[in-house]
Amino acid sequence: MTEMKPLLSVQDITKAFPFPRDLLQRLRRQPGQAVHALNGVTLDIRRGETLGIVGESGCGKSTLARCLVRLHDCDSGRVLFGDTDIATLSGAARRAFNAKVQMIFQDPYSSLNPRMRVRQILTEALSVHRMRPAAEIPARIAELLDLVRLPMDAADKYPHEFSGGQRQRIGIARALAVEPQVLVADELVSALDVSVQAQVVNLLLALQDQLHLTVVFVAHDLRLVRHISHRVAVMYLGKVVEVGPTEALFSAPLHPYTQALLAAAPEIDPARRSRRVAAKGELPSPVNLPQGCLFNTRCPLAFERCFKERPALPASGDHRAACHLTQAEKE
Amino acid sequence: MTPALQVRHLSTTFGHHGTPVTAVDDISFDVMPGEVLGLVGESGSGKSVTLRSIMRLMPHHSAVTGSVLWQGCDLMTMTEAELRRVRGGEISMIFQEPGTALNPVLPVRVQIEENLRAHTELSAAGRAARCLELMDLVGIPDAKRRLTQYPHQFSGGMRQRVMIAIALASNPKLLLADEPTTALDVTIQDQILKLILDLRDELAMSVVFVTHDLGVVAATCDRMAVMYAGRIVESGPVPAVFAQPNHAYTRGLLGSVPRSGTERSPLLSIEGTPPGLTSRPAGCAFHPRCAFATDLCRRESPALQDRAAGQAAACFHSDRVIAAGLAGS
Amino acid sequence: MTLSLRQIPRPLLLGGLLIGASLVLAVFPATFAPYDPVAMDYNALMHAPSWAHPMGTDNFGRDVLSRVIHAYTIDMQIAFFGTIFSFSFGIVIGALVGYAGGLADTIFGRIVDAVITFPFLVLVIAIVSVLGPGLVNMYVALAVVGWVFYARIIAAEVKVQKRLDYADAGRAMGYTPMRVIFRHLLPNAITPAIVYLVTDMALAILLGSSLGYLGLGAQPPTAEWGVQIADGKNFMTTGWWISVFPGVAIVLTGLGFSLIGDGLAEVLRTRK
Repeated sequence: MTEMKPLLSVQDITKAFPFPRDLLQRLRRQPGQAVHALNGVTLDIRRGETLGIVGESGCGKSTLARCLVRLHDCDSGRVLFGDTDIATLSGAARRAFNAKVQMIFQDPYSSLNPRMRVRQILTEALSVHRMRPAAEIPARIAELLDLVRLPMDAADKYPHEFSGGQRQRIGIARALAVEPQVLVADELVSALDVSVQAQVVNLLLALQDQLHLTVVFVAHDLRLVRHISHRVAVMYLGKVVEVGPTEALFSAPLHPYTQALLAAAPEIDPARRSRRVAAKGELPSPVNLPQGCLFNTRCPLAFERCFKERPALPASGDHRAACHLTQAEKE
Repeated sequence: MTPALQVRHLSTTFGHHGTPVTAVDDISFDVMPGEVLGLVGESGSGKSVTLRSIMRLMPHHSAVTGSVLWQGCDLMTMTEAELRRVRGGEISMIFQEPGTALNPVLPVRVQIEENLRAHTELSAAGRAARCLELMDLVGIPDAKRRLTQYPHQFSGGMRQRVMIAIALASNPKLLLADEPTTALDVTIQDQILKLILDLRDELAMSVVFVTHDLGVVAATCDRMAVMYAGRIVESGPVPAVFAQPNHAYTRGLLGSVPRSGTERSPLLSIEGTPPGLTSRPAGCAFHPRCAFATDLCRRESPALQDRAAGQAAACFHSDRVIAAGLAGS
Repeated sequence: MTLSLRQIPRPLLLGGLLIGASLVLAVFPATFAPYDPVAMDYNALMHAPSWAHPMGTDNFGRDVLSRVIHAYTIDMQIAFFGTIFSFSFGIVIGALVGYAGGLADTIFGRIVDAVITFPFLVLVIAIVSVLGPGLVNMYVALAVVGWVFYARIIAAEVKVQKRLDYADAGRAMGYTPMRVIFRHLLPNAITPAIVYLVTDMALAILLGSSLGYLGLGAQPPTAEWGVQIADGKNFMTTGWWISVFPGVAIVLTGLGFSLIGDGLAEVLRTRK
C-alpha cells in the first residue's frame, strides 16, 4: 500500500477511569486509583482499509473505539481526523465529524431505543443531520433497509420484534443513514450465533466494497479479524504491541504476546491440534500496571531490560512490534 | 468396549402457558470411557438442556422421558438418594459462569471440602490434604493461601479452575461441561481446555463438552454430535465430520467459520436464524434455512441414519450435501 | 401494544371504572345533582337520608348528595393540578440530574435529604400558611415540595438507562445532549414516575381534603369533601351523614387511583 495521509490518526493517547475517592483520601489529597485503559496508543487508520483491533478483555480495544468517535475524550495525546484534532470540535463541526465517523455497537439488545420504531430511528438520524428533505426520507429509508437486506415491513416494527442478527442490521442502517466515511464496529457479531455471524460479516464486506467505507473492526475473535482485516493491531493492557498487514502478522507474528494469542486460539482443523499451553499466567490488573514491558509477567522470553524499560512501537515500518527482543534482532 | 454412558430416546418438554414445548426431542448417544464428546449447537438447540436432563437438574414444570444408563443403572428411575450419590460423585458438572456457580460467601476451601465430605470417607486431615492436592492438580499456585480466599478474589479463569477442583474432588468418571470456557479470554480458554484434556488422561474420565464454538470442538473433542432444534442432526468422529459434513446444517455451520486462505471472500452462511422453542418448523426443522430442502423435507422429519466413516446424519439429501462440499457458496 | 380485555388486570379495570365515573360526575355535576349545592332550604335543616334527600341535608338545609357530586369537580381538579406541576417539573429536573451525574447529582441528593426530613403534610401546611389559604396557593405548595419525589425516581432510572448502548449510540450519532435526554432516555425512564403519578393523585385528594378541613384549601361555602367533613364535625352524633358521605367519596376516589396505579405497574412490568 502506498504511503498516504491517514484518514484517522491516533497519537499517543491515554485514558484512565478513576475510582471514586473516599472522604479520607480526599481530605488527605491522596491521588485515587484508576483503571488505566489506554497507556499511549499510536495508530493510523488509512482510507478504505479495514483495520482489525484484537486483544483480550481489558486490553482497551473498546475504549479505543469509543475514543475514535469521541464517546470518550482521551486524557492526553490526540486523535486527528484529517488535520483536525477531534477534541477541538464543537457544535456543528462536531456533528459533522460524528456523521463521518460512525460506530456500531456490540449488544443488539441495548443499542436500539426500545420505544422507537425502525422508521423513527432512521428518520431521526436523517433529519438531525439534514441528509434529505423531509419528502425524500421515506424513499431513503427504503433504500437503507434494502442496503442491509431487511424487508420493507421492518420499518414499522419495534426493535424487540427482531432477532439479534436483524437488530445488528438496523444498527448498521442507522450508522449508514448519515453517510459516514468510517465505521467503527465494536464486537459487531460477538453476541450472535455462529450461523448468523457469517451473514453479518458478509454484509459488512459487501457494504464496504459498495460504499468505499473505512472500517475499524474491534473484536476478540482472531479468525474473524483475520478474515476481514487488511491490517491488524494487537493490543495488550492498553497498548498496541504489534501492528502489521494481516497476512504477515498471522503467519509471522513478531511479539511474544501475539505469538501466544495466535497459538491459544483453537484451530478449526482437528488435525492441527496441539496439547501445549500457549501462554501461562493471567492478565495483570490494569489498576497496577507492571514496571517495564507490560507483558513481562507472562513472557517466556523476558530478560533484564524488559523489566526496566517499556518498549515503544517503532515509528515506521509496515509490520512492527513493541518488543525489545524483536527490535534488537532487527538492529 | 462398552459405553460409559448410554443415552436413549431422551426427550425434555416444558409446560409453556398450557401447551408443552419440546426442548430435547428423542435423542440417543453413547459416551465411551475416556472419550471427549462434543455436543455442538447454537442458542435454543437444546444442548444445555440435554446436559441438565442427564443429571435430572431440570425444573419441576418440565418432563424428561427416555433412559440414561450409567454403569448399568438408569439415572431416570433412580431414587433421589441414589441420584445424590452419583451427582457430584461419579458424575460431576461444571458451568459456563464460574462467577455465579460458586457460593460468594464461603471460602473456596469450604466449598471443596463440602463435596469431599459428601462423596468420600476422608478424615478432616485427609480432606485438608486432598484440598491442597486438588488445587495443585488444577494449576492454582500458592494453594494454601488461596484456599482461604473467597470466589471474588479469583479471576474468571481461576474461578473456573476452582469449579473444576470441586468437580474433581470425588474422582468422577464422567465430567459434564456446559460451555466452561465461553466466558473466558482466549489465552485463558486455552489453559482450561488443556487442563481438562490433561485431567482426562490422568484420571481416565469421560467428558461431555457442550459448546457453540467449533474451534473448541476441533481442539478438544474425539467425537461430536451436532444439535439443531432439539435433535441430533449429525454425529461422528471429529476429524471425519470436519472433513466431510453429511448434514446441510453442519456444512453451513462449518462454512460460517472463517478459515485462512479465504480472507475477505463471502462466508458460506446460513440464511435466517435458529428457530425458537415455540416456533419449530414441521418436517425437518432446518428446512426453512436449507439450500438443499425439497418437499420431502417440508413434510417429513428425517431420522438419524448411519453413514460412512462412523458418521450418522439426519438428512434426506446427505449425498447432495457431500457433493457440494465445503468450498464457497 | 395491544391488550385484549381479558388481559387487563382486575385492579386496573375496577380503578378505571371508579375514576371514569368520578370524571363524568366532575364534568357534568349539574346533570346528576338533584339540587343546587349551595341553595339553603330552611325547611329542611339536618334531615336524615330520605327519598327526597338520599344523603340527607346539612345544618343549612343544603342537599348533601348534591354537594358531594359538585365536590367531584373541585376534588378531581385537585387530583390533577395538585400533581401535574410536580410531575412535569420533577421529571425534567430528574432527567437532567440523572444524565449529568457528578456535582449536580450530589447537590440534588442534599435537596432530597432536606425535603424528606420534614413530614410532607407539615411542609405543605407551612408553605400555605406563608402564602395564605386557597386552592391556588395549595397547588403552589404541592408543586414546591412534590417535584422532589418525581425527580428522584426519574434520576435513578435515567442513571440506569444512560449506561445502555442506545444512549451512547445517540451521542455517537451527534445528537445533542438535550435530544438524547428527552427523546431517548426519558421515554424509557418514565414508567415508574407515571405509576407514582396516579397514586400521588389519590394522595393529593386526601391532602386537598385535609387542607380543606383545616380551612387552608378550598374555602366554604364551596362544595369540597374536606370542607364538608369540617362542616359536619360538630354534628357527628346528631347528623352523621353530613361528614360520612363525603368521606366515602374520598375513600372511593382514592381507592380508584390506587387501583389504577397498581394495575398500571403490573401491565408495564409484564410488557418488559
